[in-house]
Amino acid sequence: MGIRFILCFNKQGVVRLVRWFATDDSSTEPQEEISQIYRLISSRDHKHQCNFFELSETTKLVYKRYAGLYFVMGIDITDEEPIYLSHIHLFVEVLDAFFGNVCELDIVFNFYKAYMVMDEMFLGGEIQEVSKDVLLERLSTTDRLE
Amino acid sequence: MVASSLRSFIKDVRNAKTLADERSVISKQSAKIRTKLRDDRLSNEKKRANIQKLLYLYILGEKTHFGQVGSINLIASDEFVDKRLGYLATILLLDESQDLLTLLTNMLNNDLQHPNKYIVALALNTLGCLSSTELARDLYPDVENILKNSSDPFLLKKALQCNAKLIQKDRSLLEIFPVSLIGSKLIDSANISTHGVLLGVCKVLQAILITFDKSFNKTGEDTATEQEDDDEYQEDVGILKTIAEYIQPLSYRLSTLNSKSLEPSYDVQGIQDPFLQCELLVTLKWFFKIGNNLGLEEITRHNTAFNDRLTQIATNTSALKNPGNAILYEVTRTIFELNLTQPLRVLGVNILANFLAPTKNANNTSNNVKYVGLNTLVSVVPEEPKAVQRYRKFISQCLYDYDISIKFRALELTFEIMDEENFVELTTELMNFLEKISKSHYHYATSYIDIDDSKDLILYTVDHLLEKFEVFTNSDDKTKLDALMNTLKMAGSFVDLDRTNEFIVAINNIDDLKYKIALLSKELAELLDEKKNADAESSACLELTIVWCIGEYVDLIIANPNTNKNIVNEKSIIQFLSKLNNTYRLSKESKMVHYILTAALKLSTKINDKALVEELRQIIVSHSKDTNLMTQTKSIHYELLFNQPDNIKKQFLQAMPKFEKKTTSRGLETHPIAKEPKKQNDLLLDLLNDTEFGKIATKEPTIAQPEKPNDVLADLLGSSTSKPKEKLQIPSESVLIHKGTEIEVYEKTIDISSGLAHLELYVKALNNKLTDIQPLCAVPKTQKITLSQLQPSNSMNAGETVKQSLRINGSGKLKLRIKMSFCVGDASAVVSEQFDYKLDQTI
Repeated sequence: MGIRFILCFNKQGVVRLVRWFATDDSSTEPQEEISQIYRLISSRDHKHQCNFFELSETTKLVYKRYAGLYFVMGIDITDEEPIYLSHIHLFVEVLDAFFGNVCELDIVFNFYKAYMVMDEMFLGGEIQEVSKDVLLERLSTTDRLE
Repeated sequence: MVASSLRSFIKDVRNAKTLADERSVISKQSAKIRTKLRDDRLSNEKKRANIQKLLYLYILGEKTHFGQVGSINLIASDEFVDKRLGYLATILLLDESQDLLTLLTNMLNNDLQHPNKYIVALALNTLGCLSSTELARDLYPDVENILKNSSDPFLLKKALQCNAKLIQKDRSLLEIFPVSLIGSKLIDSANISTHGVLLGVCKVLQAILITFDKSFNKTGEDTATEQEDDDEYQEDVGILKTIAEYIQPLSYRLSTLNSKSLEPSYDVQGIQDPFLQCELLVTLKWFFKIGNNLGLEEITRHNTAFNDRLTQIATNTSALKNPGNAILYEVTRTIFELNLTQPLRVLGVNILANFLAPTKNANNTSNNVKYVGLNTLVSVVPEEPKAVQRYRKFISQCLYDYDISIKFRALELTFEIMDEENFVELTTELMNFLEKISKSHYHYATSYIDIDDSKDLILYTVDHLLEKFEVFTNSDDKTKLDALMNTLKMAGSFVDLDRTNEFIVAINNIDDLKYKIALLSKELAELLDEKKNADAESSACLELTIVWCIGEYVDLIIANPNTNKNIVNEKSIIQFLSKLNNTYRLSKESKMVHYILTAALKLSTKINDKALVEELRQIIVSHSKDTNLMTQTKSIHYELLFNQPDNIKKQFLQAMPKFEKKTTSRGLETHPIAKEPKKQNDLLLDLLNDTEFGKIATKEPTIAQPEKPNDVLADLLGSSTSKPKEKLQIPSESVLIHKGTEIEVYEKTIDISSGLAHLELYVKALNNKLTDIQPLCAVPKTQKITLSQLQPSNSMNAGETVKQSLRINGSGKLKLRIKMSFCVGDASAVVSEQFDYKLDQTI
């Protein structure tokens, strides 16, 4: 159940965010798995092909491209796909509002803040908060504590 | 200062001009961090900077294990900023399997009781992500404490999520978890039950229900602990009864969410909090799944209300945008997983079919729902075939979708809904599809579809069509024959020559001889008409089939009054054969040559013109010095037979009887190579038992069965000469590569050289007698595998062993996926065991 991993990489396959919630028992190295996922996703037609596909016997991928960045979620094979697309969209919307018109460089240089956003939204691979207002309020408070 | 040094590091990495530059920047920095982290006197600010840089290395995929202890140390600081980074680094760098986790116990314990709620939140988050069973037991009381005493939704939602994880880790926590807490405090109170808290409640309930589901399914398996199980069962049912009280309020929340749009902050593209709606649906689904299984009155009495609610949601939810579709999809999943009433199932099919409806502007959103719609419909067909069939127009349209995965699923679904009634219609549709896709294959430069994908699609279609032709024996023979011929013409070049046998079998098995002859004479006329045929490309597959048909039916074709005698006559046919013979004489396709030889031999009994008969003889003789030994043998045997008097010859060369085919299962994926030599062999044996052929066949099986690839025959000649069964021993130098319930498999490497490997597999039956053993092997795409016959036979008693030798040509690592199917004892059901085996060697 739930999200197994969240990935964010750009069109060249350079990883910007990576987060594993469930460790797979498969023997493939995480790094290898990421580059495999990148190859699969980047070869897909991003206008016409659907945003889901099965990666393995345990994992399905849900992904979406925003400008030059791919946001990818690996979810359990038994989960339904469309709602996770909304998860991704919400995550990107919150990033956008939090950084103020987010771009790739914001995430590169402030990756730890992007992780902060992720941790406010997801806990152990499950969504915990869905209101943008609540999330942003909370994030700006903790951000100021620095 | 901190930011700038992380910044400058990131900038340096980004500015590196070459890969080597980048590597040197990274390894220098990595070494520096390593030394710095060892320094105890380092200020926390500097430590943070180093951990941040370490995390950047982590994102780049570098080794970071040396920073694990440093990250945990940072948590011990009193400062929030230190803790935050420390926890983040711990979550990222550690995983649940590591011993280091025990170091966290005390820190988490302190932080879970911290007065600052942000620190408590950090600890909850970490525990939710990284909890071993020990951690779960040790820290559970702290989490429960928060659930009991806090009234802050911010903490409660995290504590609930965390609690759900802990229950999953250690089910015994359920005994002490006060479930009633959920009702009194978390659902009923307006101030507390925010959407976040409700999400958490859903997760906790799901965790409980899934745990129950697992243990209920397990009960009864081992009888030894029955008493214990029974106690546990009673306890579980007790908890279930308590939480069943929440069905009604949760269901109510779902319907208010679905029908009203009140809070703008939860609005997602016009849908009120689709996330919570989906989670509520899933939670309720689990309730009813378990409740209905156990027949628990506390749950089942809500069934009708729940069904109404689902109908209500299905009608109220807009399908325009993704969030609405997500909810609708979850509704259908619920309907089919619970196998609800027929009207609801039809409703579910309708929802899914609407996902497939063509839209004006095709884009991802429409493709996303098409994908999930098709995926679910495939599994629904057995329950509601008629309802799904109604939408075959939509399904057919998806065949032409841009997205290959949608095409594939539409294809799968088309075959799934095929029955005797719609057979003709769907076959016609598939023929159109084949035509289009094979055309686009040839003109791939302008087409959107990947060349390999289109080949896969074509092969999948062909495979399943052949399968269906076999199943629907009552269907229209004309449609079948037309479809067979069309498929051969359009897709022949994609089909493996070995697979052509199945076409021939299918043609052979069609009863409507009159139509068969009419069609064949038309096809022959087209093929032999040289003016028309000048530039048409024909495939080996089609040629092979035609050659076979010539051998079988030529007399009937020529006798057919509608045949165009100017084009199709004995002379032109023989010319065609000898032309083909010349084309293939030097090719590696010995199969084609064998077919030509057989056709020539058969033909010789059917025509009278001396000159033409001599031409046929020339075809056969032309191979008497063939470099291929099999072909040479065949040629010489045939020549002997050729010179026999007509009446003897005719007896040998009668028309083929109907084939009884053993069904074999084929997966959706086209595996690179999966040969089934046993199957063909069985066919042969069946045939050999055929009384009339039997006598002759024992003398010279090559003649009795000209349809089959010769190498199999060779094996047969070797093995069927009734050698006494000798007991096979597993050689001592072989290694055990698979141990299953019925069999053990050992591997022995005979020889590995560049480009070629020769292996032997020894299969040992452990407990039962195994019959009808069929080995299937797949190798990577760069290699080809040849399986020989199982030695000494394809069945064995318990404790006995059979041998299978394999030859692999090609290049690359030696990897095998092996599937052994067999019947156990006297049972007729086929069982299979599958495993992978990797050798450390490369060819």
